[in-house]
Amino acid sequence: MNLTGLALRNLRRRPIRTALSILGIALAVGGALALLALSRSIQDATRDGMDEMGDDLAVTQKEAPDIFAGFLPGDTEARVAKVAGVMRAAGEMFMFAPSEKNRQVLTVGWLETSFLWAKIPLREGRVPNAGERKVVVVGDATADALAKKIGDQIEIFGDAFTVVGISKYKAIINRGTVMMPLADLQELSYRPNQVSMVHVNVARDASTAEIARIRRDIEALGGVMVSTSSESLDNDRNFKILNAVSLGISIIALAMGVIYVLNSLVMATQERTREIGIVAAIGWSDTRIMTSIVIEGLVMCAIGCAFGVLLSFFAAFAFPLIPTIGDMISFQPSLRLMAATIGAAFLLCAIGALYPAWRAISMMPAEALRRA
Amino acid sequence: MIATLKRLFDRPMPSEDAAAALIALAGVSRNFDDGAIVALKAVDLAIDAGECVAILGPSGSGKSSIVNLLSGIDLPTCGRVLWNGRPVASRRAWARLRRNDIGIVFQEFHLLPTLTARENVEMALMGRGILAEERRERAEGALARVGLAHRIKHLPHALSGGERQRVAIARAIVNAPRLLLADEPTGNLDSANAEAVADLLFNLQRDTGMTVVLVTHDEHLAARCRRCVRIRDGEIADDRVPAAAALPPIAETEPAVTDAEAPVAAAIAAPSEPAPAIAEATAVIARTGYPIPEAAR
Repeated sequence: MNLTGLALRNLRRRPIRTALSILGIALAVGGALALLALSRSIQDATRDGMDEMGDDLAVTQKEAPDIFAGFLPGDTEARVAKVAGVMRAAGEMFMFAPSEKNRQVLTVGWLETSFLWAKIPLREGRVPNAGERKVVVVGDATADALAKKIGDQIEIFGDAFTVVGISKYKAIINRGTVMMPLADLQELSYRPNQVSMVHVNVARDASTAEIARIRRDIEALGGVMVSTSSESLDNDRNFKILNAVSLGISIIALAMGVIYVLNSLVMATQERTREIGIVAAIGWSDTRIMTSIVIEGLVMCAIGCAFGVLLSFFAAFAFPLIPTIGDMISFQPSLRLMAATIGAAFLLCAIGALYPAWRAISMMPAEALRRA
Repeated sequence: MIATLKRLFDRPMPSEDAAAALIALAGVSRNFDDGAIVALKAVDLAIDAGECVAILGPSGSGKSSIVNLLSGIDLPTCGRVLWNGRPVASRRAWARLRRNDIGIVFQEFHLLPTLTARENVEMALMGRGILAEERRERAEGALARVGLAHRIKHLPHALSGGERQRVAIARAIVNAPRLLLADEPTGNLDSANAEAVADLLFNLQRDTGMTVVLVTHDEHLAARCRRCVRIRDGEIADDRVPAAAALPPIAETEPAVTDAEAPVAAAIAAPSEPAPAIAEATAVIARTGYPIPEAAR
């Protein structure tokens, strides 16, 4: 018999309360992990999508709070392309647009001369021909979800478009994207002669200093901000809000889980005042008594965390089924995220368990024995 | 703060007896409810190594408070408790003493209900750096010593009152303490079990020579101790060998008689002996410092 064995035995004495406390921790850890994974997945999916497009730099409106809120003049692409060191540039407009079956699809518009058309990995069909309008290339995820094939009509913003191609991007966010001529999207969004951003490629062998110089030169054009895909996402207001909300809710969830454990331990120590008096009377030190109580809390926390991780996996794998955001989520378990969440849960549990432990030893053994 | 300062300034200097004793109370008072209840009033009590002392008194007289203070499970309002002539002040020091040198037996047994008899005894060995295997062996040894070798795997609720108290005694002696404090150890037992538990305690005292302090309101039990301290209203009313010590010793449990005590025992065992034996006993009493029992006068 050791302190852990003793803690397990004490926990088994009140199985329902212990189970409820463990469930509380499991829900807290599971909820926290799932929420954090959700926000991280969306951000990662977006980053993967931008990386798959092969951008070295992205040019957006200066001071725009997020990538959807900024717009640039249509001639920005040409001005950027003239900057020394820029190999090619392509303007793009993007937005979420209502489509069929109440789905919001990420819709992008490119100039018919854009190199981005040539980079589309086509599963079937073709890209729009020069001057062709009201046609789209649909990501395979959207095509499958809406049961579209080549030649079918798809509704975007209430207008009918003909599906001429189906892409097979790897990034989940690109797999759901609908691509159409820029002019069509400008017309649909009442933003003629505007783009949301400009994709920039620089020479493959460009040094860091060279890239920094190119950034400066582009920014010198005025009114624009140049960033890598990671930087643009990190500075994005929407992602900041998403991350902050996820973190806040996760902390609240963890705190609630810890309160379950704290409540359970406070009740247990109150019920066992006499027993704490007994072990003190037979010579257990205050430290040992406190340790035994904290171990009880940590055992509950450990079991709760294990269940919580399982719960978070179930939740995270269920996220893609959510209609509005499912196409944007690609959940990948992160050991770092799990370690951080579980570490936080353990730390909070240990701190939480210290209070009942301190209460337990703050009483003289004789007083504890009298209170029985 | 004020209470701490008061405690510091109220500490009386220990007497020579207290300084030489195994454990001693020096001017110890214990109040409850901010002084509304006075359990002990400036008590001085020195207990030497190897003594068997009964603390006798009616309910509420303060005798249990003495045991609590002697074991450090409670602290005095003022005054000092000395162990081997040195004051014991901190909770940590008291916990160490209870771990190594002091065993306690309570009236209510105070066993942990979810642990077996052996595990209850083992609890007293935890935190001493003893390996699990050795802990088990020592716990089983202590239980065998109190006649419970066949009950080691039983939970307290499956044991009789007498057996529970014997488990508590095994737990108290498993560390081979120098001082065994027993607070009404037979108070919750029927007469047969009470007798058996009392025999066990006296046999242990005889065999090991450990110091035993027995709190009781049972005159018969107190009479089996070498010294009897009577408490009344929080004060020591009497401190001497009781008259009842003249009762015929129980054959199985008779304490070992030292050479120095032999004449006293002889005198007690045969009160009708002629005067020379009593005179010799009185001389021994004078040498050893034991109070003269009424029966020997």
